[in-house]
Amino acid sequence: MRDTRWYLLVAATLALTLAACTSDGEEPEDPADLVEEDGDDAAAEGEDGSAAPADSGEGVLEQVRDRGSLICGVNDAVPGFGITTAEGTFEGFDVDFCRSIAAAALGDAEAVEFVPLTAEARFTALQSGEIDVLVRNTTWTATRDGGEGAAFATTTFYDGQGMMVPADAGFASVDDMNDTIICVLSGTTTELNLESQFSARGVAYEALTFEDNDTLREAFLADRCDGWTSDKSQLAGVRSAWPEGEGGPEALTILDDTLSKEPLGPAVRDGDSTWFDVVNWAVIATIQAEEFGVDSTNAESLAGSIDPETEPELARFLGVDDFDAGLGLDPEFALDIVSQVGNYGEIFDRNIGPDTGLGLERGENALWTDGGLLYPPPYR
Amino acid sequence: MEPTETAPVSSGRQGHRPPPWRDVRVIRVALQAGFVLAVVATLWWLYDNLATNLDRLGIRRDFSFLDQSAGFTIFGSDFSATGSIREALWVGLQNTLRVALLGIVLALIIGVVVGVMRLSTNWLVRRTASIYVELLRNIPPLVLIIFFYLAVLQTLPGISEAGTPAGLMVVSNRGVWLPWVELGEGTGAFAVTALVALVAAGLVASWRRRVHDTTGRPHRRVLWGTGAAVVVLGLGYLVLSPPIALSIPQLQGRSVTGGALLFPEYAALLISLVLYTSSFIAEIVRGSIQAVPKGQVEAAQALGLSWFDRLRRVVLPQALRIATPATGNEFLNLSKNVSLGVVIAYPEILRVGRQAIGNGQPAPQILLIVLAAYLAVSLTLSLVVNIANRRLQLVER
Repeated sequence: MRDTRWYLLVAATLALTLAACTSDGEEPEDPADLVEEDGDDAAAEGEDGSAAPADSGEGVLEQVRDRGSLICGVNDAVPGFGITTAEGTFEGFDVDFCRSIAAAALGDAEAVEFVPLTAEARFTALQSGEIDVLVRNTTWTATRDGGEGAAFATTTFYDGQGMMVPADAGFASVDDMNDTIICVLSGTTTELNLESQFSARGVAYEALTFEDNDTLREAFLADRCDGWTSDKSQLAGVRSAWPEGEGGPEALTILDDTLSKEPLGPAVRDGDSTWFDVVNWAVIATIQAEEFGVDSTNAESLAGSIDPETEPELARFLGVDDFDAGLGLDPEFALDIVSQVGNYGEIFDRNIGPDTGLGLERGENALWTDGGLLYPPPYR
Repeated sequence: MEPTETAPVSSGRQGHRPPPWRDVRVIRVALQAGFVLAVVATLWWLYDNLATNLDRLGIRRDFSFLDQSAGFTIFGSDFSATGSIREALWVGLQNTLRVALLGIVLALIIGVVVGVMRLSTNWLVRRTASIYVELLRNIPPLVLIIFFYLAVLQTLPGISEAGTPAGLMVVSNRGVWLPWVELGEGTGAFAVTALVALVAAGLVASWRRRVHDTTGRPHRRVLWGTGAAVVVLGLGYLVLSPPIALSIPQLQGRSVTGGALLFPEYAALLISLVLYTSSFIAEIVRGSIQAVPKGQVEAAQALGLSWFDRLRRVVLPQALRIATPATGNEFLNLSKNVSLGVVIAYPEILRVGRQAIGNGQPAPQILLIVLAAYLAVSLTLSLVVNIANRRLQLVER
């Protein structure tokens, strides 16, 4: 009798295995994806063909709404852009854009789960569906748009790569830095820019690439390397928080040289255009709001008092006449963003502006009307 | 002679063959085939999933990227940014081996010494060895590495105020520069001389043994052999008019010329792994020595052998046999732990691979290569250990 039972067991196992193999094609909800998909439906849509996933089945926007919260990949170690506070909450420029996207998608800027990511892990996390959107001072490049399978929305911050050195080291520009050791964070465009800029200038150097900013900071603090290269905004953040025991921010200089263009913006997975639009317009709305002069203090009252006849554009923007642009969003999404998070200028000033520790000027990040690069497409 | 009668008996009831679904032989084969099929099917299914998903995301899954130029440099090597990803990974593998091989040698030496110390009759020696083992084997290697890197080596003086003990070395938190030999024109000829010196030493030593065997006078072959080698080497050195020169590191401002650099990332990784692994090897050695039958030691004592001779000629040769397989495992552990160097910017293969991934190269392929590289290193090591083990075993009849 035992033998019979064994045989049956084997037969059952075999049948199951075969079923699993053959049904793979027709049954896209197979849970055990090697590329671990969160809510496997995102994977399922693509499996039976290259059809645009946004139209069939559940896109990321639906997933976010079903879940009731947005999962946003952020930095947790760059003051001003993304950092954990003593209370364990996240704050910063990038973090506020996560909140803007949540406000647009869910109407609630607080419905965000933050996932701190390293520079190297961020695209894997995005590709695998672990996060819905990546807002982590990420530079928009062709390779990332193409090979990494990411899609970049409107740039939130126009940055450039710089070099930070001890003030007493006597380096006036990058050209003085012959035979030096440069500390750099691995897995960033920074490494490639460093190489191309230094070899173009004929400056000999050695790059020490670190896995995380904390170890890099310790090493730089101990004079393991002569310079620390990264995006200028990040360097400004680190400099502002330099310990007083080490001479405070005055002990460090950020050289004037700009080694690269670094447009930083939110990224989503390729292939879901609805979700891309949501993220894109959540960013654009903050810029548009600043252009319209709408901010968190006056948004609600403007929405209540505005006359669609005289100011049709602003009325559409605030959703007063129920104008639906077909973005899959609530007509009042811009009002939700501005009243709960603020417009671009407010977000900038609150986190990284002249009155903060970083003390960054608007520069390229001013509105196009003020000579900057922020140019929102019309909302109509 | 009546085949019609015997035939039905042999083909019918003889052997009582059960039906196939109850035949143990059939069931065994079916089980094995089923298992293999299940494994293959699972693997194929996983691969198919990966391939489908990568295609859907528009991520390439061929290996042509290996020939693209890397675009980044690797610390402490001549690798230039125009080199290919393939070369970058190769440099990474070399860096891995550099720590693994030296680490294995050092860990073995320290491990054996500490293991013998643990059995010493001297209270202080025994206790010191115990503390060494208990302290180091109970700390995670990652903690040791970060400790040695940030809390020990980074607290050395900065390069501007680097220490220069005896004018021979430069000690700073950018590394320790040691005196090193500089190769000159006659280096090749000098290497040949060194070979000759070795042969001469061997010849003199065997001559001394013959003298000892025939006359009974003390052979002192080590002394004589060394003497012969020194004479040959000295002559060669004089004739070739300095074939090698000593290169003493010189500190000039913030840079150092000459000498050989031991950089802190390498040193921290090597020291931590050697200390960590040697504590385990010490325990293996202690256990193996205790496993040698007591009668062996007592017999050696009865013969009047000294403590050292007892250890060298009786106890250790037998203990070694017991210790070999377990020690081989520790070698494997050490070589795999080299990947922990990733946290302190040591450019071993995982670090280089992740660097490539961060710069837009495909993760599945790179990690597959890293995986294969570690597997190759480990399998080679265990092959070597197995061969050593087989040769050390007693041949029993």
